[in-house]
Amino acid sequence: MIDVHVFKKLFAPDGTMELDVKLVIDRHSFVTLFGASGAGKTTLLKILAGIVQPDKGQISVNDSKWYDSQRKFSLPPQKRKVGFVFQDYALFPNMTVFQNLEYASFNKKRSKSKIDELIDLMELGGLKDKKPGILSGGQKQRVALARALVESPDILLLDEPLSALDYSMRLKLQEYLLKVHKNYQLTTVLVSHDPGEIIKLSDHIYELKEGKIIRQGKPSEIFGMGQTSAKFSFTGEILHISQEDVLYIVTILIGNDVVKIVADQCEVDQWQPGDKVLVASKAFNPIIRKL
Amino acid sequence: MNKFQGHISEINTRGNFSVITVTVNNKIKLKSIVIDTPESATYISSDRIVNVVFKETEVILSTDKLPAISLLNRIPGTISEIEAGELLSRVVLCTDIGPVISVISTLAVYELDLTVGCDIMAMIKLNEIILSK
Repeated sequence: MIDVHVFKKLFAPDGTMELDVKLVIDRHSFVTLFGASGAGKTTLLKILAGIVQPDKGQISVNDSKWYDSQRKFSLPPQKRKVGFVFQDYALFPNMTVFQNLEYASFNKKRSKSKIDELIDLMELGGLKDKKPGILSGGQKQRVALARALVESPDILLLDEPLSALDYSMRLKLQEYLLKVHKNYQLTTVLVSHDPGEIIKLSDHIYELKEGKIIRQGKPSEIFGMGQTSAKFSFTGEILHISQEDVLYIVTILIGNDVVKIVADQCEVDQWQPGDKVLVASKAFNPIIRKL
Repeated sequence: MNKFQGHISEINTRGNFSVITVTVNNKIKLKSIVIDTPESATYISSDRIVNVVFKETEVILSTDKLPAISLLNRIPGTISEIEAGELLSRVVLCTDIGPVISVISTLAVYELDLTVGCDIMAMIKLNEIILSK
């Protein structure tokens, strides 16, 4: 369990902002920090990792103290058993995939088998002697994720790791994230803006605004899916809206599938391609056919 | 999407199914069957304010005031507007709970001889009504 209660004065574009956050994260859970840019999410991740110091507060992880301002104690980052994945991959361009992973380990001998295991798990076998420059965004992020796991962390911190990737690559990487979260029994803290991704990955969400937690709950509660009686519900992205007769046909991407849904003219005025939407129907309507 | 706010006036639960009656504007009772119970969904409680939601394409129209038909969700009204397309028509009804929109076939508009000002009964199946907070 991660028990965090920290304060820090931050410098925002329009003045100063007080980060004042109290949260408890269950062991082995997948938690997402959600909210507008500048809300303090990344700072909170960095405070957990020990690379930014809060002004005051406490952090304890599974009953051991990581930070206590009263006792002027801060556990050094390298002792925190934390893996960190950044949006921009942060790989060393002059090293191969294998060397990037090896560089992240404190004990080269012991970690050889761990690196091999991660290369297998993340399906990087064919790329291990390649340098990052020739890899795709998705491949680079798989390397960054593997690197974050070399030292067998208990906590994985993910700062918008998939936001630079296209939709289909994000879907694949989400599968890898879930796989490592479960395989290594991690406690994972993700920063993300993508409702579909958050719903798919997280057990619990904290919504931050101007340094404070303004809402928390299960993804279904926060994104309204639990607020209707509709049992057949998905999140998707509007691709196209066209008028047909007296109705409109809205084309929506749900996962890898494209669906078409009719809508009335008074609804489509509020929508445009690119909007993220909840698509819902009752459990009574769909038919099931064995393939 | 037709959407009206009302309060839950009756809850009838058997196993995992519940039939929820929502009274809108203290006049019209609309029933919805859901795969939820007061235990599984917090919004199911007496007098709770909820929205009833149904698609325009699920609203059935009849010129008969008391049609012998299994649809119990009935909203009487008069036609205030008809937009006739080649295949489908959008019919707007003026009712006690506000405008209700129905999209039906243009052929049915002609066969029923629907015109602006006609008295009409709008009906929705029990399983087509979604409840939302």
